Amino acid sequence: MNALHILATQSTPSVTSDWEQGLLTMQGDSYPENSFEFFGDIITWIERYLKESRAPLRLELRLVYMNTSSVKAMMDIFDMLEEAHQHGRQVGVDWFYDPRNERVLDLADEFREDCSFPFQIAADG
Amino acid sequence: MAEKPPLSPAEQALIERIEALLADPAHAANPLREPMAALFAASEAQRERLGRLVHISDGYHLISRDQSQTLAEQYDRHLRRLDKLARISDRYQNSLRELSEALKDAALRDPLTGLGNRRFLMEHIRDETGRANRKATPYSLAILDVDHFKHINDRFGHEAGDTALCQIAQAIQAALREYDLCGRWGGEEFLIMLPETPLEYALQVAERVRLSIQALNFAFMEQEGLRITASLGMALHHPGEAYPETLKRADNALLEAKSAGRNRIGTA
Repeated sequence: MNALHILATQSTPSVTSDWEQGLLTMQGDSYPENSFEFFGDIITWIERYLKESRAPLRLELRLVYMNTSSVKAMMDIFDMLEEAHQHGRQVGVDWFYDPRNERVLDLADEFREDCSFPFQIAADG
Repeated sequence: MAEKPPLSPAEQALIERIEALLADPAHAANPLREPMAALFAASEAQRERLGRLVHISDGYHLISRDQSQTLAEQYDRHLRRLDKLARISDRYQNSLRELSEALKDAALRDPLTGLGNRRFLMEHIRDETGRANRKATPYSLAILDVDHFKHINDRFGHEAGDTALCQIAQAIQAALREYDLCGRWGGEEFLIMLPETPLEYALQVAERVRLSIQALNFAFMEQEGLRITASLGMALHHPGEAYPETLKRADNALLEAKSAGRNRIGTA
């Protein structure tokens, strides 16, 4: 199963994936009751992609609110990308935020700390 | 192969002396030569074993030192991660808290005049009624209605009406005492709550409110030389009375003030 598509709910972001393009997107708020379960599929997809493909991987994020366990899961994901990057893989993150909510910019910036792979933060639109 | 442990110069000299004696053909027939040679060989073997032991022991030390270093590094890394997690999480929490405060404020405030809205007033009337009943310190209540407000809207437009409401709201607030409360009850109606105030004092405050509204100048009707006035209905909360009852009496007093010619205060 190379396709991962999750519809947004009130407490979880929408997730789309494109194996051929090497693109994973996440959009919305994230405060699932069971973060482990929700992020498990996403982490598995990324792990498999990094293992089975040699092509670059890009994450396109439009995340707004996150609870603590979601923050931890995202940190785990960025650690995976960092490790792949250390092994010479081409990985990158593009984090878009609504210019009316500048707080997301600061938060994304906190996430970016310790990441040496390309990590862009840009206003949407 | 493990090296033999290093020797002190005296030990080295002794070993060389023994080696020289054992090699000397002059002592070949000495009966002590054979046991001496055996003893020397045993000593050398012992020395080599000691060397190996030290080497192995050092190896274990090295491994355990490496392990504890790795553990310390892992610990530091986890600590840093935890730190980052807490930092990011706190930021999210802060923005939620600010959002909820903004929402609470929006939920209780009238966006036009900036005064408390009907929900805000209801909360306070409920609280104040509880306090008045417990402490037997009755409050007074005034409902204020702007006279002929519909005419102002019709004649000068809704924007002018809105401006007038804002100016009136400011005038009411300025005429009140610090601990009095006022809010927009709805439309052109305002509600004034005077805690722990007997009706006779409340009337003085209400009269000050009425006069300051009457004294207001409105840019949009300057040329007409018109004034805006307001009528007020007042009621004193009776001990044990439910607040809707007090409100109803104030409302009735307002109707009386209106029918008696407006720009005046009615009391229940």
